[in-house]
Amino acid sequence: MRALCWNGVNDLRVERVPDPTILGPHDAIIKVNLSSVCGSDLHLIDGYVPTMKPGDVIGHEFLGEVVEKGPEVLRLNRGDRVITVSIIGCGKCWHCQHEEYSLCDNSNPQPAYEEAAYGHCTAGIFGYSHAFGGYAGSHAEYIRVPFADTNCFRVPEGVSDEKAVFVSDAVPTGYMAADMGGIKKGDIVAVWGCGGVGQMAIRSAYLMGAERVIGIDRYPYRLEAAQMKAGAEPLDYTRVDVYDALLAMTGGRGPDVCIDAVGMEADGYDTGIEYWYDRTKQAIGLENDRPAVLRQMIECCRKGGTLSIVGVYGGFIDKFPMGAAMNKALTFRMGQQHGQRYVKRLFEHIEKGELDPSYLLTHKWSLDDGPRGYRMFKEKIDDCMRVVFTP
Amino acid sequence: MMGGTALGLAGLRRGSWALAALGGGLFLAGAAGVPIAEPVARRVREGDFGLGDLGDVAERLPGVAGLLPAAQREPTTTQANVTVAAPPDKLFRHWRNFRNLTELFPHLDAVEVLSDTESRWKAHGPGGVEVVWHSALDKVRENELITWHTLEGAQLPHRGSVMFKPAPGDRGTEVRLTLVYQPPAGAGGRAVSRLFGSAPEQQAREALRRLKRIMEAGELPTIEGQPRGNRGMREVME
Repeated sequence: MRALCWNGVNDLRVERVPDPTILGPHDAIIKVNLSSVCGSDLHLIDGYVPTMKPGDVIGHEFLGEVVEKGPEVLRLNRGDRVITVSIIGCGKCWHCQHEEYSLCDNSNPQPAYEEAAYGHCTAGIFGYSHAFGGYAGSHAEYIRVPFADTNCFRVPEGVSDEKAVFVSDAVPTGYMAADMGGIKKGDIVAVWGCGGVGQMAIRSAYLMGAERVIGIDRYPYRLEAAQMKAGAEPLDYTRVDVYDALLAMTGGRGPDVCIDAVGMEADGYDTGIEYWYDRTKQAIGLENDRPAVLRQMIECCRKGGTLSIVGVYGGFIDKFPMGAAMNKALTFRMGQQHGQRYVKRLFEHIEKGELDPSYLLTHKWSLDDGPRGYRMFKEKIDDCMRVVFTP
Repeated sequence: MMGGTALGLAGLRRGSWALAALGGGLFLAGAAGVPIAEPVARRVREGDFGLGDLGDVAERLPGVAGLLPAAQREPTTTQANVTVAAPPDKLFRHWRNFRNLTELFPHLDAVEVLSDTESRWKAHGPGGVEVVWHSALDKVRENELITWHTLEGAQLPHRGSVMFKPAPGDRGTEVRLTLVYQPPAGAGGRAVSRLFGSAPEQQAREALRRLKRIMEAGELPTIEGQPRGNRGMREVME
């Protein structure tokens, strides 16, 4: 089959690779119909995540059809149209039983990396480096899904492929960001980053009762989508001072909930020297992640408010304003998505017309255009929100 | 590592377990034949480790180990802990059936039960060299504890214990595997690492992880055999 393989920093190639086979009794093979790029892939492509190996198939957000299953897959049938949550749960460990699927004890076949770096290992993720299990990703004609009964979900009839595919990752990640914010009636929510996840976080915050949601980005087309499609009040951080603007918009209180949908590769445009401080330390290996968004959220958030972090971080950050965080009594919530917890609810929202993620799909391309698709996505040209490949 | 050692010593001081070695036998099997470096051999002979006579290690180590600097202590005692979402009796039964242990320790080929207490263990070391030894059970407390030690003639004498304790709340069972062995060379842990690509601590931890995955998930998740790009394949072939 054809697959999009990582071969080095900024080196993606479409290659012929063997078809996947069933390796475990709970495995299923999915024929991939749609497979989306994701902002978190850029960290791999840019070389900020170690433990990538040449030949790794990337991609983790996909929709397809069950074509084969292991002897212990009971809930799925051949021909089922399914989405697969990008983060793999075994379904049986204490964390999975408590719906914390991204903390699964068992799904990562290479736990040593994370145990050394983080103290514990977390769940395996498709196409997301060997620290997260080294599972072959979805930018391919076929993909093997472990623990398929736990991780694959049938798409309800009447929900199109284009609406359903993002329920794999972008929608539950945004939804979980809003959920972790513990939004109460009357709350004002600010979302940093208006990419796919940010857009979904905005929409989800409204579904959970937010009074107003403010979307922060620098790309006019993303701010426009945040405003027109998700209903946010847009804030262009290259044109205004974010702190002044947010306080002006919240009667001086600051947002009740601040959501980070950016993560470790923050631009930090308006922070000038701070950006170059972090960027330089990152380049010479003294700091893994650029935490400009985190610092700004701590400064802006109202006293006693909540920071909800779904933007991805990999390692260490510098100059973390702990004093502000502690004295303002902020609550920090964070984590990779526990998508399996939310899929059913998300499809209900989609069926009722309360949520339509399909506008994220701005470009539907052949898998052969994979490298070009990622370049466009990374450089944010042609108003690209998400490129989705059709293997 | 230090945390694990501290826990081990706490366990030792409580005297709630005896020392034995099962997994120990496996990595040690591979290290068989590695000469014991003279300073270590001397310390062992002189009883500096409290290991001079392995026969009474269980009685002597608790008093001595606490006084040893970590650097000397660590290669001789290794411990791993894991919590498994299953009741103690289920885990105890699984472990008590020694045939199941080949799945937990990759270097172990077979365990043959000879009598109520004695068993014959067969493993392969580096280069496929076969290593055989006999073990005897010391204590078996239903659903709680199994301890064992190698019998006379084992190339690498060792003792081990596995404990099962209900975890608080609905968290299942806490399993603790402790192995005490004579280091195969001066830098025991490092020598074993060279032979098997991982440290003894790592091997004990891996054994408990396999137990957990088999009991909880019903399989050992793997990526071996999945597709990868050509460049990756070429590298593997080279």
